[in-house]
Amino acid sequence: MLQSKELIRDGAKVGDAQSANRPALELRNLVTRFPGDDGAFNIVDGVSLSVAPGETLAVVGESGSGKTMTFLSAIGLVPRPGKVVEGEILLDGTDLLKLSEEDMRALRGTRLSMVFQDPLTGLNPVFTIGDQIAGVLHAHRKLSRAEARQTAIGLLEKVHIPDPHRRIDDYPHQLSGGMRQRVLIAMAISLEPQVLIADEPTTALDVTVQAQVLELLAELREQSGMAIVLITHDLGLVARYADRVAVMYAGRVAETGDAEAIFERTAHPYTVSLFRSVPSLETDTASDLLEIEGQPPDPAALPAGCAFEPRCYLGHGRQDCQTTRPALRAVGDSSHRAACLHSSEVITEGTAE
Amino acid sequence: MAGYLGRTFVQLIATLVGIVTVVFFLMRAIPGDPALYMLGDFATETAIVALRERLGLDLPVYQQYLLFMERAVTGDLGRSVVTGQPALTEIISALPWSLSLAVGGLSVAVLVGVPLGILSAIKHGTWIDTAIMLVALIGISFPVFWVGLVAILFLSYHGGIFPALGAAVGGGFWIQIHHLILPALVLGLSVAAYIARLTRSAMLEVLGQDYVRVARAMGVPERRINFRFALRNAFIPILAVIGVTFAWALGNAILVEVVFSRPGLGSTILKAILARDYQLVQAGVLVLATGVVLINATLNVLYGVIDPRMRTGE
Repeated sequence: MLQSKELIRDGAKVGDAQSANRPALELRNLVTRFPGDDGAFNIVDGVSLSVAPGETLAVVGESGSGKTMTFLSAIGLVPRPGKVVEGEILLDGTDLLKLSEEDMRALRGTRLSMVFQDPLTGLNPVFTIGDQIAGVLHAHRKLSRAEARQTAIGLLEKVHIPDPHRRIDDYPHQLSGGMRQRVLIAMAISLEPQVLIADEPTTALDVTVQAQVLELLAELREQSGMAIVLITHDLGLVARYADRVAVMYAGRVAETGDAEAIFERTAHPYTVSLFRSVPSLETDTASDLLEIEGQPPDPAALPAGCAFEPRCYLGHGRQDCQTTRPALRAVGDSSHRAACLHSSEVITEGTAE
Repeated sequence: MAGYLGRTFVQLIATLVGIVTVVFFLMRAIPGDPALYMLGDFATETAIVALRERLGLDLPVYQQYLLFMERAVTGDLGRSVVTGQPALTEIISALPWSLSLAVGGLSVAVLVGVPLGILSAIKHGTWIDTAIMLVALIGISFPVFWVGLVAILFLSYHGGIFPALGAAVGGGFWIQIHHLILPALVLGLSVAAYIARLTRSAMLEVLGQDYVRVARAMGVPERRINFRFALRNAFIPILAVIGVTFAWALGNAILVEVVFSRPGLGSTILKAILARDYQLVQAGVLVLATGVVLINATLNVLYGVIDPRMRTGE
């Protein structure tokens, strides 16, 4: 079991020295395009991101910012008629875009896995959870029924489901939402993937359960050293669980860097606005809580300059913002980068407060 | 599961009592005097009174109803006026012909309709999907008696592959099967078109569910997703339609029986209506209705087997 996995890794190896600090997953200039009534548009527009083994990368942004689509692209599940048209998706050095459909399938679940938003609809209602976990195991490994069942019980134990011997024969409707998300996580990590993408895994859950699920993810990461991509719009979670952050807007990366840098030296007005729109105990009155004016732009009709310009408190109306599309560039330390023409202004403003 | 079965059983009994009641009052609501119809225009007054007494028609309606119920429970549904045989016996002897036709037709419908529907859903949006749905639309649009006549013309008269008429009453098993194939095909193909369309939409709905995406994200092969995972969910609505179409098949079997000159419930009830053989009509309707109710009860049990949520009544 382990041997075959090593073989796949070996095949992709370039050199030992390189593989040591190679990212677990790296997206390079990824473009995912959908055909539209007025010509094709890019829902993911040149995204470059990476996550190292054992690291948690939080991807934040409003609904429609392309964060989910970016990682559906990475796992090869872009809904039709969308298509990845440009870029590279490197999983431990292997470009996934060059793999066949069948190789890609074999790799999902075993090396790259994904947990989705709604645990209530994520499990098939007419099969026991044991059957569903076994289904994933059987898809990739030759196991007897008894072995699969034993493995499944072990996995349920690993995600802290009480009384796994009994629970394994339960149907999804007999479990709570938090339990179902645990089962889905158990399925996702059953074959020890190197990268786990968690797409808003706690949005549909109670606040108390949210923390438990995220603690579980952190614990599993500690144990296995896998990389976690946490797609979320909850900045509170980002502060607590992420090592690094990527803020996405209109299918592009607006700002990325170490979580600390992003919080301390915020360099993009969009990120600033996101922080301001989060209620916290320190905010005195409701008036301190600011919403971001306007709507996220239509991906089919992006402005020529900065996509955030129409809603930006800093750059709205400025001519350079309206005409020049800002590229991601380093601000401060090397890994902290922002796509704003006036990022130094944003930083000064933030640190002055 | 035991509670689920119990509930299904109670529903079954209640429905049957309801049907018996409706059949009874429907018969009483028909204008005219059954005794007069039976004995004809030249019957003597004493003969009519005697027959009314024998049939219990002189009693108040509620007493007639109770008596009818009492007899129905013991399986006594009166005698056919034409043959003098117990009505139930007459009906039961016609039943196998209709049942074999309906079961044959439904088997064709399921064996053709379900696979075509699945194929159509998997190949969604391709020319295969379009072609299957076009054929299905044509299949639904033509009435069964017309398809029957065309089938006889080409496959029997010109092709000589299947016998055109009759059911080989008294013939051997294989000869009877040979006679059954064409009517079953005719009956089944129209239902198959319907089932194919429904299977397609049920499959498409299931394939769009979150849990299918989850299975894909974990590398479960498409074949396994389609046939093991999704089909079981899709089968719940498909099963419902099979249940409804079985009742429909029994009804359409009457048309097919007439076109192919086959014996069966359809022709028996038709003859009974023309001969004003009320007891026989009553028995026939009751047996047909019981059949439909039993099928629905069976389906209810099957739902429970397929979908665990049904068992707890959620």
